[in-house]
Amino acid sequence: MKRAILFISLCFLGLTTFSQTIISGKVTQINGEPMPGTNAFLSGTYDGGSANKNGEFKFKTTKTGEYILKVEFVGYESFSRKVELKGDSIRVNVQLKEAFNQLNAVTITAGTFEAGDKRQAVTITPLDMMTTAGAAGDVYGALQSLPGTTTVGESGRLFVKGGESEESQTYIDGSLVTVPYQSSAPNMGARGRFNPFMFKGTVFSTGGYSAEYGQALSSVLLLNTNDMPAEDQIDLSFLSIGLEFAGTKKWNNGAVTGTLSYHNLAPYMNLAPQNYNWSRAPESTSAAISFRQKTGKTGLFKFYSSFDNDGFTVQQIHPGSGVIPVDYKLANGNQFMNVSWNGNLGEKWTMNASGSFTNNQDDIHFEQTKGAKNIQGIFLKNVFSYPISERFSLKFGGEFVRKAYSQNAQIQNEIHDNNFANQSFSGFTEAQIYASSKFVTRVGGRVEYSDYLQRFNFSPRFSAAYKITGKSQFSLAYGWFYQNPLDDYLLYTNQLKPERADHYTFSFQSSANSRTIRAELFYKEYKDLVKLNGNQFYLPSSYNNSGTGYAKGFDLFWRDKKTIQNGDYWISYSYLDTKRNYRNFPVEAVPTFASKHNLAVVYKHWFGGMRSYAGVNLKYSSPRVYNNPNSTVFNGEKMLPYRSLDVSWSFLYRQNIIIYGAVTNIAGTKNEFGRSYGITPDESGIYPGTAIQPSSNRFFVLACFITLTRKGNANQMEKIE
Amino acid sequence: MKKIILSLAVVLVSLVSMAQKPEYMQAMGETLGGFSTCKNVEDFQALGNKFEMIANAEKGEWLPLYYHAECYILMSFVELSDPEKKDGYLDVAGKSIEKLLTMVPGEAEIYALQAFYFTGRLVVNPMERGQEFGQLTGQATGKALAIDPTNPRAKMMQLQMNIGSAPFMGVDPKSFCPQAKELLANWDNFKPKSAIHPNWGKDQVEGIVKGCE
Repeated sequence: MKRAILFISLCFLGLTTFSQTIISGKVTQINGEPMPGTNAFLSGTYDGGSANKNGEFKFKTTKTGEYILKVEFVGYESFSRKVELKGDSIRVNVQLKEAFNQLNAVTITAGTFEAGDKRQAVTITPLDMMTTAGAAGDVYGALQSLPGTTTVGESGRLFVKGGESEESQTYIDGSLVTVPYQSSAPNMGARGRFNPFMFKGTVFSTGGYSAEYGQALSSVLLLNTNDMPAEDQIDLSFLSIGLEFAGTKKWNNGAVTGTLSYHNLAPYMNLAPQNYNWSRAPESTSAAISFRQKTGKTGLFKFYSSFDNDGFTVQQIHPGSGVIPVDYKLANGNQFMNVSWNGNLGEKWTMNASGSFTNNQDDIHFEQTKGAKNIQGIFLKNVFSYPISERFSLKFGGEFVRKAYSQNAQIQNEIHDNNFANQSFSGFTEAQIYASSKFVTRVGGRVEYSDYLQRFNFSPRFSAAYKITGKSQFSLAYGWFYQNPLDDYLLYTNQLKPERADHYTFSFQSSANSRTIRAELFYKEYKDLVKLNGNQFYLPSSYNNSGTGYAKGFDLFWRDKKTIQNGDYWISYSYLDTKRNYRNFPVEAVPTFASKHNLAVVYKHWFGGMRSYAGVNLKYSSPRVYNNPNSTVFNGEKMLPYRSLDVSWSFLYRQNIIIYGAVTNIAGTKNEFGRSYGITPDESGIYPGTAIQPSSNRFFVLACFITLTRKGNANQMEKIE
Repeated sequence: MKKIILSLAVVLVSLVSMAQKPEYMQAMGETLGGFSTCKNVEDFQALGNKFEMIANAEKGEWLPLYYHAECYILMSFVELSDPEKKDGYLDVAGKSIEKLLTMVPGEAEIYALQAFYFTGRLVVNPMERGQEFGQLTGQATGKALAIDPTNPRAKMMQLQMNIGSAPFMGVDPKSFCPQAKELLANWDNFKPKSAIHPNWGKDQVEGIVKGCE
């Protein structure tokens, strides 16, 4: 009996083998290229096969009847067709179309440096910003090794593509930072207020940015703070210039981090030679708290608040006061608060709500002059995004900004009180349209109304990108950008229009195999710039918007993480040609903040045996101009070029202890930022002048970072700057 | 007693469900045999294709999807030159793992596989990703071991992470040798739930132990 069953089943088996269907075919892309590795199978069965290197697949099936043949490959639209299995052979040639996927699709890169994405193709990561020698842990310092920027030592701020520092705006988690820099003495470099380690990603746009951002003629820097921390931890930092303490407590869906820091440059300044006499070395105390809470499935609420107090007294020679240095005393208090929520509303809508508050007070005292400046800023924004289809998405939102500025100056017995407050209401909308995964356009517009100037303006924005191959693409961007005149003018008049810049940017980018090359051409036309009549600064009725200017040039960027093992370098070069006729310029002239040639070479190397990460950074900016009132040519003098060779060394002593040292301008190259002159000539009719020097030729810092966690294996690797 | 009944019930249920699908068991068994002959990206992709096909036919089973993800993680390790390709393979694995986590939320093997996946992401660029993905790997192994403290694959992931990061941390990698030897000695004490449940990793531990000598 058993045998019989076996026999019958064998027969049956034989029969089924007999009615075998062979399915074969060739899989190609639209351009005819074969697609090896493609999966071809009968849906709902275990019968199928993979395509060989010629794109040919072939498999047998014992099934009969109607089935669906599926041909699939990751990133491509899957193919399916009904087949009738009758025991003969079937041949199906298949062409697969690339599926549309925004992640792999082209992105607009004109004018933009993005960091923080985990993708390899990205040009600069947050760690890069931190490990760049010479940045000295300053966000803005690190950005100055990217193309499109000029190093202006006496300011320290961002100067982008022929724009002034005021033309750049900083946003944290979507909100405007009204006072992003620390206060500094005249002609001394300022640093950013924020610790770079707060941020997980940055977008640095040097032109042609989205309609979401207004009130910036040159650039926007978008900083995104860290999301949820991984675990509880305590960070202790001991620096040659101060102490920092941070503690993080995490719970299920939220976390809180508190930071306290104290910096005092006195011990350092006693050791290192300084170019100025400091009656009181810079000293600062700050406290910050940040809070994160997940809400629902997708929402994340963030809150950050900081309080800073700092001050110093430096002896500077003041124009007009002769050659004896006088004390310049500054005390600054800054409170900043930032709130944001982003998440999904229902299935498709996403919302980003953000707001910030700033209160910044500077008290300045020199000679017989006492000055107090107060800035209060409120910012509110709400942005909605809606994907109408996979290829078409819409973004729109509204923004409210209030800025109140008051200045009180007491010169001997005279008192000058001035203030103004402006409220701006803005709305913007933008559509992003993918014609294919190779071609994208973004069209948008922004409307702003300023109640102080009583003016409306409209800014169109347009950008597009086209992918030529998987690795290379072209992008272009165009737009009108408006910004209200400087606060110092608005204090005295509201009879002005916003200033305007039109951007034209064209860029090429190619990255493959850990190497990236980028080239960008740009042209910027400045219109409606504020112009003073002669030197009548105190005659606000003479201010008008007849100023003009232009900036044009190109940027080159090359990054290579591959050629040198354990080494990584980039070279950035920018050429800038710019002239303006604005403010007190008697003629069209090159402004003082523009360098024709800017070069930065950054190299980093990991020494495994020594558990050390070393960095070298070379910077060069060609001589800028400055004005000598004793000369008949306006802005006719040239200062020294800026040169600096910076080094840094980080050593991983223990898994949770990092020792770090860095020297800026190790060669001690003399840098000088022109001369400043008195307002009035001396008895012999000559305006007296003094050289503007950096506060010291070299700067060094030593630090030790300790991280304590329960597991004890985290470290502040990201802190190595 | 209750525990025994419960585990008996579990065994029964799984036996019954498997008995109902001899074809599935056979297909899985044959496809799993393919791992031993895989040498390059193409081989793993072909194998991953088979698992994908089975997953497609057996929507309620998590194992085909598990092995599909494993194939794509292995592809990222086998691919030597192009970091973008590596990330591309890991993207596919990541999607399968996400699906698995919703299909069978309390399964230690899936977290162990997730740890493997995070290690893959780390290896693409250790310098930039070390911190973040080291932590994520640690978290995933932690979850796996919290569910099943005996899971040898989770232990191996933890061990590999510790050895990999040792040179950066100023620790002698050989200090983990006793742990590796112990893991290898006890490897066979872990009994997979069925012939087609995950049972890989012994070779890797053998490799680590070999490196100790």
